[in-house]
Amino acid sequence: MDPMLLALTGLTEPLTLLTLLLSVTIGLIIGAIPGLSVNIAVALAVPLTIFMPTNQAMVMLIGLYGSGIFGGSVSAILLNAPGTPASAATIFDGYPMAQRGLATKALRLSLVASLFGSVFSIALLILLAPQLADFALGFGPVEIASLLFFTFLVIGILSGTSLVKGLFSASIGMVLATVGSDPMLGTPRFTFGSTSLMDGLTYVPLLVGLFAVAEIIEEAARKFSQQTRKFDLSSEDATANRLSLGEIGRCVMPMTRASAIGSCIGILPGIGATIASFLAYADAKRAAGKSGTFGKGDPRGVAVSESANNAVVGATFIPTLALGIPGDAVTAILLGALVLQGVTPGPLIFINSPDVVYTIYFALLASTLLMGLIGYPAVRVLAQTLRIPKIYLMPCVAVICVAGSYVARNNILDVFVMLGAGVLGFVFNRTGVPVAPLLIAFIITPPFEEAVRQALTRSRGSFEPFLTNPVTLSLAAVVVGVVALSMFRRREARTAQ
Amino acid sequence: MNFAKPALLALGLAATIAAPAAAQWVPEKPIRIIVGFAPGGGTDQTARLIASAAQEQFPVPLVVENRPGASGTLAAEMVAAAEPDGYTLLVAGGSESTSVPNHMETQYSLDDFRGVVRVNREHMVMVTKKGSGLDSVDAVVEAAKEKPGELAYGSSGPAGILHSAFIVFTQEAGIDMTHVPYQGGSPALAALLGGHIDMTIVTPAQAKAQMEAGTINAVATTSDRSEEIPDVPSLTDLGYDVNLENMKGLVAPADTPDEVVKYLQDKFAQAMESEAFTTVADRSNIAPGYLSGADFEDAMRSMSDSVANALENGGGDDSAEAAQ
Repeated sequence: MDPMLLALTGLTEPLTLLTLLLSVTIGLIIGAIPGLSVNIAVALAVPLTIFMPTNQAMVMLIGLYGSGIFGGSVSAILLNAPGTPASAATIFDGYPMAQRGLATKALRLSLVASLFGSVFSIALLILLAPQLADFALGFGPVEIASLLFFTFLVIGILSGTSLVKGLFSASIGMVLATVGSDPMLGTPRFTFGSTSLMDGLTYVPLLVGLFAVAEIIEEAARKFSQQTRKFDLSSEDATANRLSLGEIGRCVMPMTRASAIGSCIGILPGIGATIASFLAYADAKRAAGKSGTFGKGDPRGVAVSESANNAVVGATFIPTLALGIPGDAVTAILLGALVLQGVTPGPLIFINSPDVVYTIYFALLASTLLMGLIGYPAVRVLAQTLRIPKIYLMPCVAVICVAGSYVARNNILDVFVMLGAGVLGFVFNRTGVPVAPLLIAFIITPPFEEAVRQALTRSRGSFEPFLTNPVTLSLAAVVVGVVALSMFRRREARTAQ
Repeated sequence: MNFAKPALLALGLAATIAAPAAAQWVPEKPIRIIVGFAPGGGTDQTARLIASAAQEQFPVPLVVENRPGASGTLAAEMVAAAEPDGYTLLVAGGSESTSVPNHMETQYSLDDFRGVVRVNREHMVMVTKKGSGLDSVDAVVEAAKEKPGELAYGSSGPAGILHSAFIVFTQEAGIDMTHVPYQGGSPALAALLGGHIDMTIVTPAQAKAQMEAGTINAVATTSDRSEEIPDVPSLTDLGYDVNLENMKGLVAPADTPDEVVKYLQDKFAQAMESEAFTTVADRSNIAPGYLSGADFEDAMRSMSDSVANALENGGGDDSAEAAQ
């Protein structure tokens, strides 16, 4: 039988469909719980798949992966606590929207954007996987280091109004990122002899602390007075929450750019969905210029962040299938599951097991579709969370945060990191220091350091490769162009005054 | 404190009941199998496979628990310090056992464990990029002698077993190559395919898949020949005294009593013969490599010693020095 047909019939078996439905639903829920990331969900599901038929196994894991990222935006928007790291940038506009009574709208937009990003990258996967994978292989340490440096400059826009405070925040992030083993030599740094610190501080507890715990402390300081402000859904303005086609239309361009950014980041090794969504957010903010209200509840902020991080999902499958090399931690687990099924991943998977490739394509598409079908009606129900008075809601969130931080590595240290980060976030909020630069510096520093040092090891200490590399040079040209343009604009604005 | 008396009594009672049973130890509470790596990885898969296959043999649940961190040393440290009662086991035999403790200070050593059973052995395959001209070990050695330090090898991370294998090999061959660590074996393979490094180590399954696609040369395995890729010579065949493998098995804290270890070893050995284990192992390229606990210990020790020797004799100079 034709492998495509074989995959399709395999997928329409009732048991497989039921598995898909369940895994998408569970993915949404796990994604929405701060600290519990999709990685854990997918990894824990692998042993269940050992004795399943291949298509059922794939459907289960892919369903969890795709919907988990959207699930992360739910708690980001409603609770200021990103369910998955990839949804961190969704907070910037999603939470303000929810606070203004537009929670349902923000969630709907997040869903639409997630679908958009997923379909965009799945289309790239199906049409251009081998070409894109070859392109990605060309990115060595020099290129990756330049790209990350460029990303950092672009995201610098997020530092807010005060450059000094932004740099202060970023430098703290950078210092925190240096804790752990030296990436090249394995020498312990700032671990104070503790093996628990050898892997450094991890991202999830830091993120949960800086946003969710800081918010809880803030609310506590206000004696949970917000309970007087009612987020009653019956009083939620239904018309204001309706997502019109026109509004979606206005987001199409930003979402396309964001999906392209997400896809590019997704095929490169070791960067990931979190950086992609920050980068897309910064790009959209810059593109919108003065017309945007980014950071105060601009719908486009939610749209770009969510389309970018979902675009990463499809894109990580590009190197995974075309080269047999996993694109990220989750696809690595998926490849492991495939091996247990007796399918050898590698460049020849398209020839040796085309039915598996098609099963993966269809599972990705079907889980995306199902995510929309389940997600849309669920949105209104989820938004009800905000009706719970904060004095009851916040302690529950606190418990979930503690559990989520612990579960990721079964390491109690992570809980302390989360609490510390919470206090830090609270102090930052009170003193007007932006939190985002800290986070971004924290995520970018380790891969940046690794890439720079790999490049320098290879060149035996010479910076020459950085000065002669076409990627580095073109990125530098873009930076010069952007800076020149913004200076020009500023002068124009001044003369206009 | 009025409950102290009955509690003591109960304890005494339990002891008298337990005493005659000690001849034939039988577990009475769940046995934890600690994995030092994240769920979904190779070590985790082996652990979950053997646990699910062995469950039938045990009257108590076998619980696989992930304690990822610091190349598996976090988990090793935990099990080394655990109660030696047979209820806490570690999946060992890889980087955390034979490699890392030779490179840096750890809170444990191989002496803190005793072997229970070796479950599988995974060959390590040295590969180069197709078209690089480095199509054999001879070619690599020649190129490295011509331009010392110019050739670079990628590893899964500093002090890991891939790093150690290259240190032992370069030391044996008397050559000097540059070490470029990556965050795991897969990124290192991607870097090789992209031409950013000259050599790395992969699993036989990966080597086979990439060789069929014509992207790499598999120049040698770092122990004996692998059944999966029988045409690839081993370093021993080529006259280099290198015998390193990525093994996976179970170990218990050193003071675990003999009868406990014997019980566990027998049950896991039976599990390895079960159909559930053999079918899955067979189709998923997990090469079963049963060894008794004592033999597993010896195998780990001899591999660890060869790494220690190479490091002492100045192998992997740059990194070894800086790590001190």
